Amino acid sequence: MKFVSLALRNFKEVYRDPLALGFLLAFPLLFMLLFGAAMGGGSTPAYSVGVLDEDETELSSRFVTDVLEEIPTLKIALFENEVEAANSLRDSNIRAFIKIPSGFGDEVAKSYQQQDPDIVLHVTYDESDFVVSSQILSTVNTAVRSFAQIHIPVTINTSHINVETQVTQMDFVAPGIIIFGLLIMVPTAARIMVKDKEKGYMARMLTTPTRPWEFITGYSLALLVIAIVQIIIFIILGVAFGMSIVGNIFLAFLIFFLTALCSIGIGMVVAALSKTENQAEPLCWLIAMPLAVLSGVWFSQEMMPEYIQFIGNLFPFAHSVSAARLVIIRGADFSAVLDSIIFLAGWAAAVFTLGIVLFRQKMKG
Amino acid sequence: MWRHKLSEQELNREIDDSLAIQTFDLSRSFGPIRAVNDLNIDISRGELFALLGPNGSGKTTTINMLCCLLKPTRGTAHVLGFDINRQSNSVKSLIGTSPQDTTLSERLSPLENLELMARLNNVAPDKAKKWSAGLVEVMGLGDRAKDQVGKFSGGMKRRLSIAMSLISDPAVVFLDEPTLGLDPQARRALWDYIGNLKGEKTILLTTHYMEEADYLADRVGIIDEGKIAALGTSIDLKSMVIDKQIVVINGWNITIAALGSIKSRYQDVKVNGGQVIIAGKNLDFKEITDYVHSTGAIIRSAYFKEPSLEDAYLRITGKELKA
Ligand SMILES: Nc1ncnc2c1ncn2[C@@H]1O[C@H](COP(=O)(O)OP(=O)(O)O)[C@@H](O)[C@H]1O
Ligand SMILES: [Mg+2]
Repeated sequence: MKFVSLALRNFKEVYRDPLALGFLLAFPLLFMLLFGAAMGGGSTPAYSVGVLDEDETELSSRFVTDVLEEIPTLKIALFENEVEAANSLRDSNIRAFIKIPSGFGDEVAKSYQQQDPDIVLHVTYDESDFVVSSQILSTVNTAVRSFAQIHIPVTINTSHINVETQVTQMDFVAPGIIIFGLLIMVPTAARIMVKDKEKGYMARMLTTPTRPWEFITGYSLALLVIAIVQIIIFIILGVAFGMSIVGNIFLAFLIFFLTALCSIGIGMVVAALSKTENQAEPLCWLIAMPLAVLSGVWFSQEMMPEYIQFIGNLFPFAHSVSAARLVIIRGADFSAVLDSIIFLAGWAAAVFTLGIVLFRQKMKG
Repeated sequence: MWRHKLSEQELNREIDDSLAIQTFDLSRSFGPIRAVNDLNIDISRGELFALLGPNGSGKTTTINMLCCLLKPTRGTAHVLGFDINRQSNSVKSLIGTSPQDTTLSERLSPLENLELMARLNNVAPDKAKKWSAGLVEVMGLGDRAKDQVGKFSGGMKRRLSIAMSLISDPAVVFLDEPTLGLDPQARRALWDYIGNLKGEKTILLTTHYMEEADYLADRVGIIDEGKIAALGTSIDLKSMVIDKQIVVINGWNITIAALGSIKSRYQDVKVNGGQVIIAGKNLDFKEITDYVHSTGAIIRSAYFKEPSLEDAYLRITGKELKA
């Protein structure tokens, strides 16, 4: 088991280097703190949202007072008629308004009695601010589902949404930040490997009877340990900043783990293609940053033009973000995110195979 | 890249697998540069062979091909009977290589560096531990065995680098400029260590230091522009310039007039301070000293100088070997 000795060596090279270690551990910490301060906490600016209750049942008014008004990121203003609300929206006094149509209470009651409900809410929003409106829509959507205790429409399974009355912005943003953090593993992975190449240590190792897969495994095992530590830090900090994990934490972990594998694989392919750190580093950022945007780590992908979404979806990270959000916010179970998991695993397998092929070519001199 | 693979019948000479290293028209070009050009050498088992040549003569390229890091563009070589082109994994498991540039794992200790190299060479973990502990002492790194090597001196790093090439007890060892950049003392110590390995292992070392080849090697191959210019024991090589004799005279009171008459009598005369150096064919020592004496000069000492490997090198390549 040579690759274990190799992995151990690679790991030691990182954790005995205070600067590298500091960067790897401080990075997720700093990143989460920054986003946490910007997004989380009690001092978040709340968005004004108008509500027009046409149903006027006990359930509808409870929905307004117990659910909508309890969401810290929303400031609820009640309206008596639609015209007034529309004017207010046009004047930017409110960001969106929610009309609760008559029949809402009945449908929710149906749901409580285990019948299929058909709950409709009309939400009118200010299109000019994609980010804010998408967050409001997502928040309201989640709030209704938890209030009505209905199954998630996107899933065919029978898991209930947790009765969670507070969907904070952190819930929505944290999975994206974590995926971004894992995307940063691309340069990290490339750096470790290219350093050996540039200094000639790789050449030295190549004069020993060691196989390409042993080298690749040796590097990626060490990097995976680092990635796992980062994921744990991310999750702990996310929770500390108000992210609540509704779904299974191990499922979320699996998604993050596969994402890390993809990042490491991409980093190693870049390393195989470059000769020096100075070549590899910019190339990695050139890959990581556009992918971060395309994958919707900061802004929901749904707000982007379709062809951009299409490009984003060719890469693993968009799938990681949506799957992680499904699990963390909506409590989706394994079968609901199976497609994404298969896609991520396939990508990881493909990129590692490519890495081994490139390594083998390099070994041939 | 176009690669010519020779079948055994196509090889230009007979294969002799009792040899440790045999090269067959071994060549490597980089674009228009012919770094190694039709190299044919035979190295016996247990021999210490030195490739002597200036910078850029193709020494490193030769070593890199023999240790399977670099594919030849033409020709091949056998290491202990295994072909470097087709059986690289077998070759790799029999050799130890110390690259020209000291490359270590900087954050590891000497012990860890040695153990890892042993493991990469398929030495079992317990043996790897034992051998490393032993070698670290032999190399005089015992008191720093557990410190990170990044801050070691150049000499210590180089000793470790060489130890790393020996850790798996390989039958064939390649040492690319093992004493490059070391101070004379450290170089001496390393020579003694390498000298102790003689006979036990086949060693191919490259150097651009004359004294090193002279002191260590059983045979010396002078390499120039990728070709072997001369090959033999250092005595063989020196005897190639035996026709050129040198008489050195140290004396006082060598006047300008005296010098003038000496210079007119002998063809090749150089003056260096109080030293007169006379070179030529079939010099008669007694005749020369008598003549110098007759000019009124006082001779303190006079001797025949042995031709050095340097003289041989200069004669063979027409170039001075600069460090
Ligand atoms: N990777 C390479 N690319 C291009 N030229 C090279 C490369 N390696 C060596 N050379 C050239 O080949 C020649 C021989 O180099 P080398 O084998 O390193 O010589 P030495 O080890 O004797 O100093 C030199 O002219 C050098 O510039
Ligand atoms: Mg060299």
